[in-house]
Amino acid sequence: MTTPPTSFESFLLLGPEIALVLAALTAWLGGAFLGLRWGWPVALVGIGAALGIARLQPATAASAGVTLDAFSGFIRWLVLVLGGLLALVQSGDLFLSASSRGPGRHRGGTCEEAGTFLVLLAGLSLTGLASDLVTLFAGLELVSIPTYILLALKRSDARGQEAGLKYFFLSLVASALFLYAIVCLYGLGGSTDLGTIAARLREPAAAESLRALIPVALGMAIVAAAFRLAAVPMHFYAPDVYEGTSPGNAALLSTLPKVAGLVVLARIVSLSVPLELFWQAAAVLAAVTMTVGNVMALWQRNLRRLLACSSIAHAGYLLVGVAVAAAATPSTQQPADPAAAALLATSTLDGMSATLFYLATYAVATIGLFGALAYLGHRWPEWTSGSGPRPPLEEVALVDDLDGLSSTNPVAAFAIALFLLSLAGIPPLPGFWGKLSLAASALQVDWTAPVTFGSRRAAFVALAVVLVVNAAIAAAYYLRIIGAIYFRTTKRGVQADGGLAAGVAMLACGLIVLMVALQPIGLFTVASRAGSSMSRIVSGNTVGYVP
Amino acid sequence: MNNLLDPAAFSPDRHLLLVIATPLLGALVAWVMGSRGLTAVRQSAAVTATVTLVLAGWLIVRYLGDPGSEAALPYATVQLPWLTQGIFDVRFSLGLDGLSLWMFGLSALLSLTAVLVSWDAVKDRPVGFYVLLLVLEAAMLGVFAARDVILFYVFFEFTLVPLFFLIGIWGHEERRRAAVKFFIYTLTGSVLTFLGLLAIVLWNSSHTGTVSFDIQTLTTNLANHPLPMTAQGGWLQMVVFLALLAGFAVKVPIVPLHTWLPLAHVEAPTGGSVDLAGVLLKIGIYGFLRFSMPMLPEATAVAAPWLFGLGAVGIVYGALVALVQTDLKRLIAYSSVSHMGYVVMGLFALTPVAVEGANLQLINHGLSSAGLFALVGMIYERFHTRSISNLGGIASRAPWLTVLFMLFTFSSIGLPGLNGFVGEFMILAGSFQRAWGGVAPGLQTAYLVLCLLGVAGVVLGAWYMLWAVERVFFGGSREPPRGTAAGRHGHGADHHGHDAGHADRCDLRWHEVAALVPLAVFVIWIGVAPATFLEPAAMAVRDTTHDASASFAARMSAATPQDQVAHAP
Repeated sequence: MTTPPTSFESFLLLGPEIALVLAALTAWLGGAFLGLRWGWPVALVGIGAALGIARLQPATAASAGVTLDAFSGFIRWLVLVLGGLLALVQSGDLFLSASSRGPGRHRGGTCEEAGTFLVLLAGLSLTGLASDLVTLFAGLELVSIPTYILLALKRSDARGQEAGLKYFFLSLVASALFLYAIVCLYGLGGSTDLGTIAARLREPAAAESLRALIPVALGMAIVAAAFRLAAVPMHFYAPDVYEGTSPGNAALLSTLPKVAGLVVLARIVSLSVPLELFWQAAAVLAAVTMTVGNVMALWQRNLRRLLACSSIAHAGYLLVGVAVAAAATPSTQQPADPAAAALLATSTLDGMSATLFYLATYAVATIGLFGALAYLGHRWPEWTSGSGPRPPLEEVALVDDLDGLSSTNPVAAFAIALFLLSLAGIPPLPGFWGKLSLAASALQVDWTAPVTFGSRRAAFVALAVVLVVNAAIAAAYYLRIIGAIYFRTTKRGVQADGGLAAGVAMLACGLIVLMVALQPIGLFTVASRAGSSMSRIVSGNTVGYVP
Repeated sequence: MNNLLDPAAFSPDRHLLLVIATPLLGALVAWVMGSRGLTAVRQSAAVTATVTLVLAGWLIVRYLGDPGSEAALPYATVQLPWLTQGIFDVRFSLGLDGLSLWMFGLSALLSLTAVLVSWDAVKDRPVGFYVLLLVLEAAMLGVFAARDVILFYVFFEFTLVPLFFLIGIWGHEERRRAAVKFFIYTLTGSVLTFLGLLAIVLWNSSHTGTVSFDIQTLTTNLANHPLPMTAQGGWLQMVVFLALLAGFAVKVPIVPLHTWLPLAHVEAPTGGSVDLAGVLLKIGIYGFLRFSMPMLPEATAVAAPWLFGLGAVGIVYGALVALVQTDLKRLIAYSSVSHMGYVVMGLFALTPVAVEGANLQLINHGLSSAGLFALVGMIYERFHTRSISNLGGIASRAPWLTVLFMLFTFSSIGLPGLNGFVGEFMILAGSFQRAWGGVAPGLQTAYLVLCLLGVAGVVLGAWYMLWAVERVFFGGSREPPRGTAAGRHGHGADHHGHDAGHADRCDLRWHEVAALVPLAVFVIWIGVAPATFLEPAAMAVRDTTHDASASFAARMSAATPQDQVAHAP
């Protein structure tokens, strides 16, 4: 909290985001002159440049409205890496659609899509950096609006339109709710700066006078975040939207908005609202979301619907860590004896770290999975020479379409199995390490207190049990896909015509999964640093700018 | 290579790492050999399994020669940092001790058997099959060598994945259902086990300030500050015990949770059945010995009568169901349920004799059931049926096969002089010992009844096994109708036509002999000289059950006077 930095420094802090936007402009303008194919390569170069600039920046810095610390650094890196992978998946889909004329496929517009995608990444990265409600909202809108465009650009059939519209309207509702939450928070704190609001909320007198507003603000913010996470109560759009759009867009929708939703929740946690209701709501939503998602997924036959349900379930897992972090805020948890306080301080298993770690492992596996689906593309229809002219190729859409993939495309089969086993949490794959840290952080809440009915400890033990039981339920439908791939045979081989870039994305994700499986320590360290920087904010040492 | 063989450089810990790494390297070799065809693949798998077995055997010999083995100290300890971050300390730590020694050896032994019995049976996608079999071997060796909770769990779960594929791809008709059911059942149980283990770790961390996952450290620390077993402490120890039980009981399987087992066994390829029956079922019992008993002694004491009862019920239930089976493989699967009942009973009798017997019976059952499953697989390869009513008179055509089947049958039903007898005798003796003098008077009748059920199980076991042997091997020669069998399978016609001249084609071949003879040697060896196998484990078994049986004795003596007061007037 030294002298207020000039806004030029803010611009320097936003270097990577600016690079992304410049690349977006290049793609948009260049598209008019260079042709369709250059959009995605420009996007990849832009993301590379952003990564390079991010490397040059200091580890922590603050400026008006934005804060660079371990948390925002982690989010930025995550966004850029996921962005690179997603760009590969998307371009794999598009190289092809520019050259061939498949049914229901969109042709052209690749540069527009690439540019829009880059803006989305910049917005998401900005969300992670925001230490001010206005910046946060601006970042979120920079995520939402490009998403509508991408959804609308991708498909021209009825289903695609339905998906785009559904997402658009719900997203508007979520944005409006979040705006109301911001207004309430501003009313409570008298500032848009998160640090100031947190400090104001901690003053007992101030909190007293406006107490009634806190649950309202929290409730609306949680619902808004739930939409982006695809968590209950705003989860129901996911299966329809994922089914209606392309694999590349489904990959995007199941990862990037979740990052945004999690950032919002993390920022709310960092306000350390003195309210038991917050962690209770998060815990209940976590339990309901994972159960609903997994049970819904059990009945799905369409791959993208199934993965949509699975992404709902994973939102539930992510919320476990949020609930733990919310319960562990100092305002609600003051350990009586110094030993317990010391233990709490040294603990590295805080909920936010676990959630961030889980988010990274989930996102990589999911992008890999959709990348594989994009890569596989189409398969031969059922047809015999006697039954008339050959029908057009069918898109790989159902679980049954993957029958016998292990013999027709062993590499993709192995990669899909790897991603599914990781999502199922089979050790030693990354999903296991993620669930391990989530379960451990949940069990650690109030560890010294007895498990009595209705206590916070009991609630989190129950949450951990729900988590692992859900992991077992989820294994049922993941195994169904693996079973189709390895245990059945087919006469209708897949074409693997989705483009090589998607295949490369799939392989890259597979490599990351294997690396994290063998050496989880690297990601674990980064995530726990990011999570604990969040808890530092919680304990009052805000780095934010106070006017 | 020279300094590798130098005894100073080739320290036990490197030796242990090498044993676990060899199957993985072999899997890689088998994969590379894939392009050279079936023979190259299976040969490289067989060589790998043999090398692993020799290395493992050599390590066991080294362990037995080590002065520390008297006290059952951990041997060949490997400690590598893995996920060490702040106070969160997961290590890649391995080691052997008296508890794990024989199971470790058995895993190596049965893996060779599993490779050899698949020699002719698996022709479809052999690369995948042998690679998975070798990966499974590494996972099995790792489970028993792991000295870190997370590492144990990683190996524990990782045994599921290869077996899931082995059953699902190379199994019989209902293989997909069997594979999924097996996986889901075991996973559901084991995730709860995992939470229990995590709770133990965190409880320890709340007292010591470091999140240690080391099994040895946890055992020592939990003896000093046990999990609370009072209403005030939320019965935490019991809760954790039940969580651990969920996974271990499914794995054993203890009776109401056994339904996955017959299906998985019947549908699995022979190699998978051998590993499943021989090693994987034992992980549950090993888990009780390694975690539940030493770490949660009071809860074990509370649960012991119930589990003792379930064990006894399982013996009789498994035996009765086995009696009515028409499928030979299913019969042996149910006999596994029955025999694992003995082990559970012995374990929770909590007398030294019974627990040592149970620990030995793990090995015995591993040998006999693996042998029987292997032989059923060989019968299936020859006659393409497992249905008892379609088989008959095999003895006259395949005498050596019959001899070995009889040997493993006798081992299984506990004929004196073979290994099964020693284990069952010790378990029953220890259980009666518990029933006569070691329980509160109110429980004595119940315990005696349960022990008698165990004895009845011996009789039933002899009945169903010998009856099956009689129907399958003796009597008139019976086979599936010639036309279909000969038509479907090329070699059928030729050995039906010249029965006497082609007896060698029907009897055991070299790789089958090589698969079974090592097992037979141990069946006889353990039967004749059980002390050789009991002694190295004795100290470890006593240590690990000491607290639990002391706690059980305390509960019983606390119950006794009250009961007498209650019954006095």
